[in-house]
Amino acid sequence: MANENEILDNIANKEYEFGFVTDIEMDILPAGLNEDTIRYISEKKKEPAWLLEWRLKGFQAFRKQKLPEWQNFTLPSIDFQKISYYAAPRSKKKYNSLDEVDPELLATFEKLGIPLSEQKALAGVAVDAVFDSISVATTYKEKLKELGIIFCSFGEAVQEHPEIVQKYVGSVVPHSDNIFAALNAAVFSDGSFVYIPKGVRCPMELSTYFRINTENTGQFERTLIIADEGSYVSYLEGCTAPMRDENQLHAAVVELIALGNAEIKYSTVQNWYPGDKDGKGGIYNFVTKRGICKGANAKISWTQVETGSAITWKYPSVILQGDNSTGEFYSVAVTRNKQIADTGTKMHHIGRNTRSRIISKGISAGQGQNSYRGLVQIGAKADEARNFTQCDSLLIGDQCGAHTFPYIESKNNTATVEHEATTSKIGEDQIFYLNQRGIDSEKAIALIINGYAREVLNQLPMEFAVEAQKLLSITLEGSVG
Amino acid sequence: MNVLQEQTIPLYGRIVEKYSKLSTTAASQQARQSAFHRFQLLGFPTIKNEDWKYTNITRFLKDEYALEAPSAGAPAELSELLAKAAIPDLDCYGIVLVNGVWDGKIEGGELPKGIELHRVSDALSQPGDLFTNDNWGNLHFAALNAALYTDGLFIRVAANIVIEKPLHIVHVYTSDYNLMVQPRHLWIVDRNAQLSVIESTVSGLSGEVKIWVNNLTEIIVHNDAKLDHVNLQTAATGTRLVQQTIVHQKKQSLYNSYTFTLPGADLVRNDLQARLEEDHTETHLYGLYLTAGDQLVDNHTLVDHQKPHCFSNELYKGVLLERSTGVFNGKVYVHKDAQKTNAFQQNNNLVIGKKATIDSKPELEIFADDVKCSHGSTVGQFSEDALFYLRARGIGEATAKALLINAFAFDVTEKIKFPAVETYINQQISHHIPVNHAG
Repeated sequence: MANENEILDNIANKEYEFGFVTDIEMDILPAGLNEDTIRYISEKKKEPAWLLEWRLKGFQAFRKQKLPEWQNFTLPSIDFQKISYYAAPRSKKKYNSLDEVDPELLATFEKLGIPLSEQKALAGVAVDAVFDSISVATTYKEKLKELGIIFCSFGEAVQEHPEIVQKYVGSVVPHSDNIFAALNAAVFSDGSFVYIPKGVRCPMELSTYFRINTENTGQFERTLIIADEGSYVSYLEGCTAPMRDENQLHAAVVELIALGNAEIKYSTVQNWYPGDKDGKGGIYNFVTKRGICKGANAKISWTQVETGSAITWKYPSVILQGDNSTGEFYSVAVTRNKQIADTGTKMHHIGRNTRSRIISKGISAGQGQNSYRGLVQIGAKADEARNFTQCDSLLIGDQCGAHTFPYIESKNNTATVEHEATTSKIGEDQIFYLNQRGIDSEKAIALIINGYAREVLNQLPMEFAVEAQKLLSITLEGSVG
Repeated sequence: MNVLQEQTIPLYGRIVEKYSKLSTTAASQQARQSAFHRFQLLGFPTIKNEDWKYTNITRFLKDEYALEAPSAGAPAELSELLAKAAIPDLDCYGIVLVNGVWDGKIEGGELPKGIELHRVSDALSQPGDLFTNDNWGNLHFAALNAALYTDGLFIRVAANIVIEKPLHIVHVYTSDYNLMVQPRHLWIVDRNAQLSVIESTVSGLSGEVKIWVNNLTEIIVHNDAKLDHVNLQTAATGTRLVQQTIVHQKKQSLYNSYTFTLPGADLVRNDLQARLEEDHTETHLYGLYLTAGDQLVDNHTLVDHQKPHCFSNELYKGVLLERSTGVFNGKVYVHKDAQKTNAFQQNNNLVIGKKATIDSKPELEIFADDVKCSHGSTVGQFSEDALFYLRARGIGEATAKALLINAFAFDVTEKIKFPAVETYINQQISHHIPVNHAG
């Protein structure tokens, strides 16, 4: 079987550690996008009328918009009609325990190092595993339920808590925000939904592993996290995807809402298939992530480690509406071969005494291109607003590129904004120092990179930090010399 | 046709008409034609153009402008304007251009051997095209200028000649009616030669008269040559100044630019491009913008590192008073070949006016790996500690603030190599921060 050969080849070449295809029967909608597709998805998911209407509005907005042209790389043309917009494992019923889950599916997670069956024993992490477009197993739900925390798939939330979903969906990322957000609004398949009630501190890290599996299926998840007054939640998102020859589009939307005194911490490790050495294949990761600090003293913190995807295009942003609210953005982005990462953040200071902090570390190797693109906007009423931005770029190899495009807009004479950026080559004397002490160049570089990215990695929850550190080393293997 | 052209059809129509009537030599014909086509393609910029995102000129384009300057003859207020532009105690050669036309007179003694000055209109009658060809990229106004220019100043310093005294060029813009002028200059500093140029831009406009200056200056600094270039922009209200300077730097050349923009002109847009076309060059770009009233001052710079072993350093500082807006966009572009590049850039802004706005966009685009590049940008206010220190020593708040503004500007003003110019600039700054501003 071709797939098996592929698996063997992959292992032999070790180009991409997590690349394999799972053989599970899929329920796939034929490729193509029109109103009927949207009606089909909506019907399939038994959605209420208002949601279908909202999807159709998103589709109208999508049709009016054009693909962006401001980027400093060539965007491959995307044929939206060649994508299938719905794929679901052919599940006949909902599962109550892990035993009922398709064993092959479980094996997939095992290969990824997320042994779902062990998750129960491992205290602290509840996993809502999204396999392609439908949630198949949700653990720890009962325990969270006791605290009044809702952690479920988006589809479930639509069925069970329509009033909350209707109130907040599209309130941070409107259906017409940008072409990919509009597309997502029209065809989003599933995703995660979190609601933390007033004053509750979520006792565990909530985590979702997304996986793209079916050939030619773009994945359009939508995540909505609401932290009610005085609550706290830390959310992890991690991704791996199997080997592919054809480019896959991934246009997710994440919306975070932090009410007064609430705090949301959102961490991502993204390691989708980046394409081969010549840049063939690979995921297009065009994500819209935005949070709003609605009430006073709210806090939203984004942390991301980006090592995968052929093209990554995302700007996790924070709207600092409440007085004294805080936004943070910590990012490490690694590009190698022909990967392109164009990432950064937007901090909109609206309320008084709001503060934001941006730390971005880019690493470019091979022919990789890495851009930081960010906006710090201080409104006329954001008295005493404060921002600090630091973006550093590290270059490994003479074919790569590093770019910085910060936008600073201030309309307030009491605001303080600081931005600094540096770009330089990896330190030859540092490598020499380590070589001298018997550490070979490859390990030396891994060490230097980990030190360089430390400020960001430290922001990740412990178990994630270990994984991320390993990922950085693996990603840069063989990029020296 | 873009939206703006539709909005400003009178001006656009006039431009087409003027272009069709231009009598020109065959040599420059082709360059003009391609520039005109470029302009037709680009149109006037709108805020949808990334380079004009923060600089909305629509309201300025709504005024009607004639494209023909009043016939020669010294305007009545000329001596007054010249007095304004005069830099006390500066030993220099002085020349005056009225609406972009030089009368051929030189003050401050005879020019030494090796430097020649011509009117561009005289040079144009010679066979062969004076200017190098350029496709003008996204420089809307440069393309317009290159299509419509009729005069300007041509300077050439011959190889190995060092001109000790600076050349002070006073640009006077004056008109009784709304006018758009398009002066185009070309300055060439040949191998191993040295020159210092100080430009002053002043304008005298009565009542509601508006003047739009679309200036294009091309500079070639040849191997081992050096050019110091000071630009003092002190034009009056009613002036819309778009100043494009394109510098071509050859091997081991040095170019220093000092741009000072002071309150007055409604709109100032500077496009300064240093193109480092050969290796081992050095470039310093310094700028200071002190803005007041409803002024909009936009500084765009590009340092284009095309070849290895080049060094560039950029420092722009802004003080924003009242309701004024400042824009800074500094781009450092390092090409694939430009290894061993060192490029530094800094932009600091002091926002004082309650309604003042600053938009800062420092950019790095780097395609080579063995480089050291950095940029920094800050937006802030007076340091409370510094203010307290001064006040504790019996200095009034207003005076203390004025002192701090001068100190803030000092980093840029101290870089000027002519003490007389430095003194002049400091006086101008102090003059524009009266006590009531600092509040």
